Amino acid sequence: MSVGTDISPAEPRAVDPGAASGPPRLEPRPKSLRSGLRLNIRGRPVTLRGIHAPPGGALRWLALLGPGLVAAIAGDDAGGIATYASVGAKLGYDLLWLLLLITPALAIVQETCARLGAATGRGLLDLVRERYGIGWAVFAVGVVLLANGGVLVTEFAGVGAAAELFGVSRLVAIPLAAAAVGFLVIAGSYTRVEKAFLAMALVFFAYPIAALLARPSWLEVARGALVPSLHLGGDGLALAVALLGTTITPYMQLFQQSSTVEKGVARRHYSGERIDAYAGAIFSNLVAGFIVIATAATLHARGATDIQSAADAAQALRPAAGDAATGLFAVGLLGASLLAAGVLPLATAYAASEAFGFRKGVELDFRRAPIFFGIFSALIVTGAAIALIPGVPLIALLVGVQVLNGVLLPVVLVFLMLLSADPLLMDGLRNSRLQTALGWGTVGLVGTAVALLLGTQLLGLLGIQVLGG
Amino acid sequence: MVMLSDLLGYRLDDRRGARARLRDFAIDPEAGEYPTVTAAIAQRRGESPRVVPWGAVSPRWGERRLLVDDLERAQPLDVEEQRRAVLLERDVLDALVLDLEQRQAARANDLWLRDEAGKLALRGVDLSAWAILRRLGRGWLGRGAERRLLDWRQVEYLRGDPHGPAAPHHHPERVAALPPTQIARLSELIPYLHAAELLTRLEDALAADVLEAMATERQLQVFEELDEGLGARLLARMAPDVAADLLGRLEPEQAARCLEALPERRRSQVVDLLRYPDDTAGGIMTNEVVMAAGDARLGEARQQLAEALVAPDFVYYVYVVDDVGQRTLRGVLSLRDLLVGDERRRLDELMNPVLETLDPLASAARAARKVADAGLAALPVVARDGRLLGAVTFDAAMEQIAGAAWRQQAPRVFA
Repeated sequence: MSVGTDISPAEPRAVDPGAASGPPRLEPRPKSLRSGLRLNIRGRPVTLRGIHAPPGGALRWLALLGPGLVAAIAGDDAGGIATYASVGAKLGYDLLWLLLLITPALAIVQETCARLGAATGRGLLDLVRERYGIGWAVFAVGVVLLANGGVLVTEFAGVGAAAELFGVSRLVAIPLAAAAVGFLVIAGSYTRVEKAFLAMALVFFAYPIAALLARPSWLEVARGALVPSLHLGGDGLALAVALLGTTITPYMQLFQQSSTVEKGVARRHYSGERIDAYAGAIFSNLVAGFIVIATAATLHARGATDIQSAADAAQALRPAAGDAATGLFAVGLLGASLLAAGVLPLATAYAASEAFGFRKGVELDFRRAPIFFGIFSALIVTGAAIALIPGVPLIALLVGVQVLNGVLLPVVLVFLMLLSADPLLMDGLRNSRLQTALGWGTVGLVGTAVALLLGTQLLGLLGIQVLGG
Repeated sequence: MVMLSDLLGYRLDDRRGARARLRDFAIDPEAGEYPTVTAAIAQRRGESPRVVPWGAVSPRWGERRLLVDDLERAQPLDVEEQRRAVLLERDVLDALVLDLEQRQAARANDLWLRDEAGKLALRGVDLSAWAILRRLGRGWLGRGAERRLLDWRQVEYLRGDPHGPAAPHHHPERVAALPPTQIARLSELIPYLHAAELLTRLEDALAADVLEAMATERQLQVFEELDEGLGARLLARMAPDVAADLLGRLEPEQAARCLEALPERRRSQVVDLLRYPDDTAGGIMTNEVVMAAGDARLGEARQQLAEALVAPDFVYYVYVVDDVGQRTLRGVLSLRDLLVGDERRRLDELMNPVLETLDPLASAARAARKVADAGLAALPVVARDGRLLGAVTFDAAMEQIAGAAWRQQAPRVFA
């Protein structure tokens, strides 16, 4: 076989274009050709343009962003925004240090999920089922189904509230949002869905701007972030616990691991991917921090401390920070709710399909993965339908969901730590000592918070108020 | 017969009255069509698990207990053994297995064992949802029925460790009997490490065909898990255009190593394909085309080509060149022309002129459109000096136009 086919773009043109042997017409060539890689194959240098050189510079980092950023930012959902806003409104900058403290915790947890996914090619519920049996798997899926279903209602309610701030009826906005999210996931490929989610994450830049418009005292911000202080009286402890619970939620872990698997991250290429999980945790908590700052500078400063929902917060911003800030808050709420409305049912569908061995994947379609898409669509339809009912007790729903997630979270984290320490599963990607220590530290922190939360809820049921409202 | 979930609830006593908890069962996966239980794994309170050889166990099925001579004599299960052994509860129960009857992946919700003349054999798997309820019901919902069971011979069990210690060989011949595309589709239902393990169990020729038929992303993941020796053997057997696409997505150093390991002829073919970026016509063409000199007689050409046609995947056209060394394209003959024509005539008398050719550096999307619009099985790719470089097939064109969905669903018709 002759190998004389070195066609470089600089090669002289055909000598005689009219000859029968020449190509009848010349096609335009792409303007920029990849420069290609020069490799030495058996001592002969060849330029191979067909080999993908890894992208360099900023592009390389951007290409890594995906599941980690989406999973973490989905935690800043309608309920999350409401929590952060009321933390800011009630306690000012005082809990910023806690946000700073749980950022590494969130980063560790999310990174462990990504690593576990890459090392095993399996989702979290796959592994729970295989290693810890049917009982735990059924428990986890049951709780996830209920909790995520409940949170989904609040997301659609968030879409409705944000739309009404712009004068659009929720009766229009909610069905439209449900249809849009459903269409995106059911008809889109994995890459398209990931891109759409990442694009939605841009909406969260609304919060830093809103925080700037609120003209906070940066000195106070610095003090709140660096000097730990805990308000034990009133709502202080309850808010601190809620802050923790809303920052680390089980669906974020489930989604992180399952979508890392679906993205096709292999264990040999994992090392770069951890950036994605870390970046997600940092970005997500920065956004949370800006929400706290925005509301602390305006609402707390003016004594408007009773914030029930994200939409409340948006409206309360108006007198202090102007229409623009309210608009930005509302845009953020809309984007956040939409993103979470996509991520939540996906995480649920992944979890159930993994536990019971059904075919799964955004890449597939209804015909090939009927149960996966069935769960996804059923959740979207019911979630939107319930959110449309006038007078749904959203606060009660949120509290119930928090309890469910609180029960599940320690279970998920303990399984996560055990699985990621298993040498048979992890091979070279096992937890390092530092990761183990920080991981179990997080489990302890979260466990304490959850115990406090559940304790107060339980006592609340018995009519005893310990930590305020 | 007994279901594993039920069996695990049996009591384990020795003749001296000592008791232990029944933890698991080790099987010999190579024991024939149905693996047999080699040992029970027992654990006494506060001790590490011990191995009780099945020969020393006398099952009392009616009393729902297993009787052992002396629990004290059982050996502890060491770490290395624990790693290597295939344990029913730990490894097989709840695992994702391939159901070769329905051609799907499913979870082994329960396992069915049968006592056959003193040997306990793994006969089948319960894939039904009912098995889950039954297990959660802890005996309240019955102990399992023989219907709804899938015979173990129709099950492919994988551990998910392509480099693992002596992968258990059940009966790969059952998987191997399926067509390669079918195996590739099946392998996409399981995690990538399991898919890689499946490939290591197949014969090289079949494994190469299966790898070729996998979706792009999956192909790369699986390939990187294979040992380099096996990887090189499979690459050498794959169609050069598919091999080039795969190599093009590897890390450059790994791609170079794989190229070096290829046999001479295949290497130069693949290197030629890799010269073009993958968004150009050259990037999507195959260079395994059949060529013949224009001054040859049809009869001679038929004889010569009979051998050449064995190897290349793409055989629909014979490209007529003025000289096989120079490869200046003169015309084209379809296989039918070649077969029905008068064998005394020269190829250049019978050939059809080439009306449309592709430039190797033209964009892949435009090239694909041209192939689709031409309504031909392929269009030749020709260098600016008239040399034939390869051909873009209709399949390659459709992959460009229709994208991922096509790749997943459509068969490769021409190659």
